[in-house]
Amino acid sequence: MRSSLYFVGALFAVSAFVPLQSQGQTGSIRGRVTDQASGQPLEGVTVSFGSRGTLTRQDGTYLLRDVSAGRDTLRFRLIGFATATRSVSVVAGQTATYDVALTAQALNLTAVVVTGYGEQRAGSITGAVSQVTAETFNTGRVVSPELLIQGKVAGVQVVDNNEPGGGLSLRIRGPTSVNASSDPLIVIDGVPVGTGSGGGLSAGRNPLNFLNPNDVESITVLRDAYAAAIYGANAANGVVLITTKAGGITKPQFEYSVSTSMSSITKRPDMLNAEQFRTAVQTYAPQNVSQLGTANTDWYDLIGRTAYGQDHNLSVSGASNTMNWRLSTGYLKQDGVIRGTTAERLSIGLNFQQLLFNDRLDVRAIQKGSRAVDQFTPGGVISNAAQMGPTQPTTDPTSPTGYYDWPGNKLTSPDNPLAILDLATDKGTTFRSVGSLQTAYRMPFLNALRGHVNLNYDVARADRQTFTPSALHSQKKTGQGGSDYRANQSQTNTSLETFMDYSGPVTYVPGTFDVTAGYSYAQSHAEYPWYLATGLSTDLLGGNGVASARTTQNVQDIQESRLVSFFGRVNYNYNDRFLLGASVRRDGSSRFGPTNAWGTFPAFSVGWRLSEEPFMRDLWSLSDLKVRASWARTGNQAFANYAYFANYVLGDAQTQAQFGNEYVATFRPSAYDPKIRWEETSSTDIGADFGFMNQRITGSIDWYTKKTEDLIFRVPVAAGTNLSNFLTTNIGSMRNNGLEFTLSAGVLRGPRNGLSWTADFTAASNTNELEAINPVFGANVQRQLILTGLVAGGVGTYIQVLQPGQPINSFYVYQHRRAADGRPVFAEGAGADTAMYVDQNGDHKINQDDRVPYKQPAPKLMLGHSSYFTYGNFDLSATLRAYYGNYVYNNVASNLGTYAEVGRDSPYNLHASVLETGFKTPQYLSDYYVEDASFVRMDNITLGYSLMFRGQPLRLFGTLQNAFTLTDYTGVDPTAGLNGLDNNIYPRSRTFTAGLSVRF
Amino acid sequence: MSSRIRAAVALVAIMSGAASIGCTDLTVEPKSTVTGANVFNDPSAYRGFLAKLYAGLAVSGQQGAAGRPDIDGIDEGFSQYLRLYWEAQELPSDEAVIGWNDVGLPEMNTQTWAVTNTFVVAMYYRIFFQVGLANEFLRQTTDAMLDARGNVSSTLRAEIATYRAEARFLRALSYWHGIDLFGDIPLLTEDDPLGSTPPPQATRAEIYNFIVAELLDIADELPAPGANSYGRATGPAAQMLLAKLYLNAGIYTGTPNYSGALTAAQAVIAGPYTLDGNFQRMFKADNNTSPEIIFAIPQDGLKTQTWGGVTFLVHASCGGSMNNSLYGIDGCWWGLRLKPQAYQRYATGDNRTSFFYTTGQNVAIASISNFNDGIAAPKFQNRTSTGTPGSHPTHVDTDFPMFRLADAYLIYAEAHLRGGGGTAAQALTYVNALRQRAYGNTSGNITSGQLTLDFVLDERGRELLWEAHRRTDLVRYGRFTGGTYIWSWKGGTQVGVATDAKYNLYPLPANELIANPNLKQNPGY
Repeated sequence: MRSSLYFVGALFAVSAFVPLQSQGQTGSIRGRVTDQASGQPLEGVTVSFGSRGTLTRQDGTYLLRDVSAGRDTLRFRLIGFATATRSVSVVAGQTATYDVALTAQALNLTAVVVTGYGEQRAGSITGAVSQVTAETFNTGRVVSPELLIQGKVAGVQVVDNNEPGGGLSLRIRGPTSVNASSDPLIVIDGVPVGTGSGGGLSAGRNPLNFLNPNDVESITVLRDAYAAAIYGANAANGVVLITTKAGGITKPQFEYSVSTSMSSITKRPDMLNAEQFRTAVQTYAPQNVSQLGTANTDWYDLIGRTAYGQDHNLSVSGASNTMNWRLSTGYLKQDGVIRGTTAERLSIGLNFQQLLFNDRLDVRAIQKGSRAVDQFTPGGVISNAAQMGPTQPTTDPTSPTGYYDWPGNKLTSPDNPLAILDLATDKGTTFRSVGSLQTAYRMPFLNALRGHVNLNYDVARADRQTFTPSALHSQKKTGQGGSDYRANQSQTNTSLETFMDYSGPVTYVPGTFDVTAGYSYAQSHAEYPWYLATGLSTDLLGGNGVASARTTQNVQDIQESRLVSFFGRVNYNYNDRFLLGASVRRDGSSRFGPTNAWGTFPAFSVGWRLSEEPFMRDLWSLSDLKVRASWARTGNQAFANYAYFANYVLGDAQTQAQFGNEYVATFRPSAYDPKIRWEETSSTDIGADFGFMNQRITGSIDWYTKKTEDLIFRVPVAAGTNLSNFLTTNIGSMRNNGLEFTLSAGVLRGPRNGLSWTADFTAASNTNELEAINPVFGANVQRQLILTGLVAGGVGTYIQVLQPGQPINSFYVYQHRRAADGRPVFAEGAGADTAMYVDQNGDHKINQDDRVPYKQPAPKLMLGHSSYFTYGNFDLSATLRAYYGNYVYNNVASNLGTYAEVGRDSPYNLHASVLETGFKTPQYLSDYYVEDASFVRMDNITLGYSLMFRGQPLRLFGTLQNAFTLTDYTGVDPTAGLNGLDNNIYPRSRTFTAGLSVRF
Repeated sequence: MSSRIRAAVALVAIMSGAASIGCTDLTVEPKSTVTGANVFNDPSAYRGFLAKLYAGLAVSGQQGAAGRPDIDGIDEGFSQYLRLYWEAQELPSDEAVIGWNDVGLPEMNTQTWAVTNTFVVAMYYRIFFQVGLANEFLRQTTDAMLDARGNVSSTLRAEIATYRAEARFLRALSYWHGIDLFGDIPLLTEDDPLGSTPPPQATRAEIYNFIVAELLDIADELPAPGANSYGRATGPAAQMLLAKLYLNAGIYTGTPNYSGALTAAQAVIAGPYTLDGNFQRMFKADNNTSPEIIFAIPQDGLKTQTWGGVTFLVHASCGGSMNNSLYGIDGCWWGLRLKPQAYQRYATGDNRTSFFYTTGQNVAIASISNFNDGIAAPKFQNRTSTGTPGSHPTHVDTDFPMFRLADAYLIYAEAHLRGGGGTAAQALTYVNALRQRAYGNTSGNITSGQLTLDFVLDERGRELLWEAHRRTDLVRYGRFTGGTYIWSWKGGTQVGVATDAKYNLYPLPANELIANPNLKQNPGY
């Protein structure tokens, strides 16, 4: 409270410098500023006369009151435009009118970039901010809005899971946390979604799917901490600001676009064919030969398909002098390349803006809603397609389900994936609506001062239902007897934001100020009830009814949180030469106990536009050169609620203790840290923005270092000192260092209808290191390790490690000895272990102590290239992406690439790597399976043709997504999730989309 | 001017009014879970908390059979207390091998484990999970705390006194496992507050003395034996634990106490327990009805589910050409077999081998991962003594007999032979009682001349096979490591080699040495 008054007070202190009513001889100057080329009004032009100044308003008008009578120079300055001057004579008591048209020099410096709680001209930003607009978005079949910018922004890694609309992760400049989230904050039209990071609630796919990508106008990524710091407690992982389309043209304008697509699997796992499989069984498990059939079944082929999709978008928009609006609706249906996967979305969006009271009050209403119906390929289909023997038939008339299963209900035999596809269901429905009512009031006594009140909501309901009939082999062999699972989750987030901003020059001080101060209050209420019945009495009801069951579990989980924040920011701009910024945010979170609830997050930045200096002018046709530096501290609170409470977990009906003839349900106190507090990241960024040839070539370069301390980290604690062996507490530190480079060049600018080519390049390197876990134990620091990365093969096999001095999630493996031909050595019998693996500690045996950290899943270098060509009515664009230094653990190979698998009760099909390795026993921890997954991928090629149809533009287009991938990785996809674990991941698809868009 | 000031004041008022809505209140209490602040508003929570102390031995978490695990860093099914303890006691001994390749498990068969071995680490943390829970229970149930809550009736207060004794028994049990497996470990009691700084390392002897004093203190406060206290710790259970401690006192403290062991064994024998006429019933789904079991870890197919415990023992013992349904389960896990030395210890006529499964099984173990190498020993089964399957085909009803009367008989015999008093005749009577049950007649009886310490060790192997005593017994006889006694796969070769004496103790977890800088690693690691 005290701090909010402080901010408001500071704001008024600034406003004290603004023009006061003069007692002397004064007059006024008014006028309108427009763009010479287009005649459009220019907003935010600094108009100065003597010591007085102001900014033009949205309609380009300005009014300078109370200026001293006499002759002086009237200056008009806007970055990206040539400064205009007029010699003006002011007569006391009169108003002079001067309209001016400014000549553009470098329009992209003028571009308005949305930043937190405001917007700035691109040329005067002192943080590392990248804005991608609709013209350069990825095209084709894009279900999730994040994918619009995949490969387009340096330092931003967008990791999808290959399913249409599937869950995805964003990393901006590497991960900052171990156990709290490393996903950035997503803000849609000023509404922060989710609870700190990620996108909120969904039934299983990406939560941001509720936002139709076709409604997105621009996406701004606040990469460095200064830019993000105004979001304080949620900013440690960067911020992604999504701005949706608004109405812009006077008369109602309809726009309709339709596209249809066709997808196919690009690469399948390399399993043995029927003949190879038979040979393997005959050689290594002759006892199982009698089980082999005579079929030649390609199971993966049978679960895959050519997938089709369609997308329709209809929007209508309009505007008048005081209002604009846009209403849109979209329908998408996209099948996945594995049977059983479908994403369907019906969405509506509304943007409405109205200016009232002589344009002083700006009211904006935004609503985005959708219903997503998702079908999921039931669990086990993909893995069993890899494991099921290719010699076996698909159907069996004698089986109750009609599908073939290996003889006997032995626990270990694979399941028929076609039976699962046919009989099991897994579906989800998500309703979500995000809306905001935003009002901004321009103060009558001071035009440059505006007050804002925003009310936001985000309501979601996500239902997930999984039905596994008892007739399925998987149920019979485990005795589970079928299962019916439902989750009916809901989340309601509301927030209030009030802030004031002052934007303009002040008296007696040169330059312009942009001051913002405010308060925000956000709360979240979520309920996660779920029901699970196993041992169903009948399958007849399917997933719709509730059959009586052997065991049922009913769980309710309510999660609530609150975040209260005060924030303030001052940006100072001296004639577009010197730029200074400072901000501070103070956040209070309910996730931390009363003593640690509040955190303060300051940020500073400085920029110097060298190109404004006389000595740099006209040098090498330089049009812009700005060096900038920033430092900021940001926070992360994106982790579990209630961590500081002594929580008692109640045992369910299946974990009771027997007391005589009675069973007693249990109460278990959980380990907790009453002193849990913010995780804090301190970041330094040094960068430069440059442009040549009137910004025909532009670019930027950034170096950064980020250090996260007090990591929210689940670590082992001294035994007996808490109530479990692991405790989530604040311990350890992590560092990310990196370089980013962006270049955009208008390579060719042909005449009208001639050939033009714009090429964009991005490059980013990031080095992550977990610096310390437990600081008290200096000497033994290298021995500290926490295993992570659970993989298939054995039980409880972890393949990755968190160890000081290493990137997080480094693979943790045995070093496999290689034969002269490069193949991994395989040996059996006494001494086999040291014959195969390097004995790291020299104790003449190989055990867990001989594992070493080796490589990491995160790319060392990410490169992106986009080209945009136009010629005549044709347009062509392409996006190319390359990662270098990322590694993937090929879990399909490690799990099934051993002849031991044919010796099971019923033989499993083998991964073809066994033909090279000859492994007769599994070697899960071998570095052989950690493969270099560097790649070059043509993400997107689009060809379009535009023509006029009944006086309106019509565009036809075709897009090929994922055209090709060059990689040495042998599994299905080198982009196998964020953590580089490829265990029967969903295969990547190549998609061809054709469509048209038309206006009327 | 004044209008501007008025407007400014109004603005400040609006802003601060908006800002003050809830700005001071950041407390959001959990709704769907209970916290330390309100859990004991329900008086049944004391019983529920104590139940968790017992359940900590029987299941792996708060959701059956898996989910919401008690400890972390290991697969939850692997993390179950009894399963870990069983593996620590049996796999490196001459009794069992497990054929799986799960990381860390193969080394348990051969005494070649690493400092970071997953199973060793989890065992250590399981022990301290129990200790920490017991300490928290004792902190929450002091008279002062009960007075402060003001909702504890005098009846409940009396019950809580018994609960406290039981909590101390369970803490003593786990501390015994701790010093037996790991040697010198920290000693934390209810006087060490939660979240305290890393505790110092206590010696084995210090903890030994602590547990002995505790057991002597509580023996009379524990519930009386009988059907109503089945599954709970009784007075005889405390005596039995004392007998185990005294028998191994030489290992734990350097000073043997065989007379103490004999006396404690006598106290157990004097109790209401009798030998079960049906040896096999003690390992079947209705073994809760056995008159011989002194302290059991109860399992139930429907109410006490785990992937560890006896569910593990029944499933993992099954494989090869065995028919899983004969054992009351839905499938075999193809894991556990006998080492040849354990199988060869039995003479013809000994009915304790009647459940062994030899069809297609080789006595010798050429390959540990091949289930057909080594005789299968489905001692634990999920069918009742009358053949009825357990209530659930996956999770078994068969309880684990942690202490049973036969063990007390054998302790008497061994303590006597080691000079602990008693009579030779009594010792022989006890041993022959077991022999007669095993042979069905007196043909297997031995003479007093045959009753030697070596015979007792072998008889323990035969009688208590796979009941999680073997490693302790071999260590006491000085044969677990070194070259005195070599068995198949000891040290990592099929014929077996001598092993380093350091393997008499398991290493303290590498991570624990970092989390607690006061700790010194066991010698040799």
